[in-house]
Amino acid sequence: MSITRATKKRVLGLGVLFVVLALLPTVVKSPYYMHLVIMTCDNIILGLSFSLLYSTGLLTMAAGAFWGIGAYTSALLVMKAGLSFWIALPLSGVCAALVGLGIGSIIARIPGIAFLIQTMIISLIIPEVVGYSDFLGSWGGLLGIPGPSSIGPLRFIGKTPYYYLIVVLLMLNVLAFVALYSSRVGRAWRSIRVNAQLAETLGINLHWYRLLAFIISSASAGLAGSFYAHYFQALEPGMFTAFKSINVQIFAILGGLNYYIVGPAVGAAIMTFVPELLRVGREIEPVITGAVLILLVIFLPGGVLSLRERLGSFSWRLAKRAGSDEVPAEPGLHTGD
Amino acid sequence: MKCRRSRGYTRVTESVGSLLEVRNVSKYFGGLAAVSDVSFDVSEGEIVGLIGPNGAGKSTMFNLISGFLPVDSGKIIYAGREITGLKAHAVARLGIGRAFQAPTLFMNLSVFENVFNGFHLRYQKSSWKSFFHTKGALEEEKQARSSVMEILEFMGLARTKHVQARNLPHGHQKVLGVCVAMAIKPSLLLLDEPLSGMHPEEAATMGEIINNIRSSGVTIILVEHNVGAVMRLCNRIVVLTQGRKIAEGAPKEIAENQEVIEAYLGTDDEEEID
Repeated sequence: MSITRATKKRVLGLGVLFVVLALLPTVVKSPYYMHLVIMTCDNIILGLSFSLLYSTGLLTMAAGAFWGIGAYTSALLVMKAGLSFWIALPLSGVCAALVGLGIGSIIARIPGIAFLIQTMIISLIIPEVVGYSDFLGSWGGLLGIPGPSSIGPLRFIGKTPYYYLIVVLLMLNVLAFVALYSSRVGRAWRSIRVNAQLAETLGINLHWYRLLAFIISSASAGLAGSFYAHYFQALEPGMFTAFKSINVQIFAILGGLNYYIVGPAVGAAIMTFVPELLRVGREIEPVITGAVLILLVIFLPGGVLSLRERLGSFSWRLAKRAGSDEVPAEPGLHTGD
Repeated sequence: MKCRRSRGYTRVTESVGSLLEVRNVSKYFGGLAAVSDVSFDVSEGEIVGLIGPNGAGKSTMFNLISGFLPVDSGKIIYAGREITGLKAHAVARLGIGRAFQAPTLFMNLSVFENVFNGFHLRYQKSSWKSFFHTKGALEEEKQARSSVMEILEFMGLARTKHVQARNLPHGHQKVLGVCVAMAIKPSLLLLDEPLSGMHPEEAATMGEIINNIRSSGVTIILVEHNVGAVMRLCNRIVVLTQGRKIAEGAPKEIAENQEVIEAYLGTDDEEEID
């Protein structure tokens, strides 16, 4: 009974969220703010892909690299192979997943610091490879990437169509991730993160499940990259350096690592809007994000969302009391509250 | 006479094929032999005790059987199939469960979720069906949830199902460890010092639980320092010292075995053994 109540609450929350997202362009008229909202959504997908790997206990520094792989794959498929964006988009996800499979089958074997460093190296190498390759546009990057071809009456002019496209992509990601986390795959991931040794005695193949997470995470980062390539219509290797990956990490940590869905959303929104609104220059942005990360780890390791537990807010206590007879479920899944 | 019957028993099971056969197994750490040339059999329905002083190689033996450590030489055969060299998750898949010495649990999850996570191997429906939350998969999950409660009731932990594992008292944590191991529906259960750190009352409960598990058809290998409990619980005892097997037999024989007394029991008096 309590499960159905939780589900109802979740569905209701998703419904409200859906209406808000659908009506947003009618409220926000400024293209500048729409741009920030679109970038937030793209960043949330990246944050989600980071959290997915974190749910198995792996910390990745390669989210930005796979985002770049997706972006370049999509741009090249459209510009050089002449494919439609609507085919290139899923293909870039597949391509990022395949690269993830190749790299992951080597590096996902050893978790912990080794994994972190190896993914860090990947995010250092990939921009270099792109930069030194003339086929990939070299350091100057790719310019004039065409936007998505129009489907029926929907033409990609102005911010609004892009906004709806990224919202649909984001929602697909969220749905898939929620389904994963509440399936037995998600339970296996959680088991591995909490206690890998015990998970192994329960018959969970650690390497396979870590690899699966790496592949899925790479694919969703690739999709986000593909969207960005055709939205921004220009790419250069400097866009997906290690800084991009560090930023993605901050999205998840800032929001709260224990909230697999809402955490990256809150973190990405803050990290996309605040530097812009503060008019921070590009040069000192890394200084500020670095300071944010250090302060976070020291003072708020649970992220922004842990604040409500710390403050013991009234609504949270109420929710706790109402839900006291149910098993405290996966914290990341309470998208509705 | 007892002695002879016991030997005959061993020989018969050898020819029939035991549930677990450990054959001349050795394991070296550097130059040191942690386990050297150890052989023993475990027949279905038995509780076999693995005893010996600290550093005798008991936990290493468990790590070898459960696939956490690779065997250097020798063979381990489970249910007629060689499992030497299999990874831990593959060994678990064949039905060998394991509870660790120090409570090894999903500490920040509830008691219920701890056991529920252990059901990974028991689902028949594919992961895809679980991902799409099909009716069949949800039905299966519902059944799993009720099986979890059955296990918790069987072990006497049903009342604490919402408690976070880390907040359980030590004794209950050890029982929960056994519950999680039982979740994979093992045919063979390896229990590493299930009674350690327990007060006598808890130890008695745990002894009862172990007996109940055996009655439900699970074969058990037990590493334990509480000699009294080992003597009471086990059908047969294997004694290891410095990685070698020095004796094997019924509890009475082991208690009377001169070599064992010298190596292990030492000055222990008769009352404690009874």
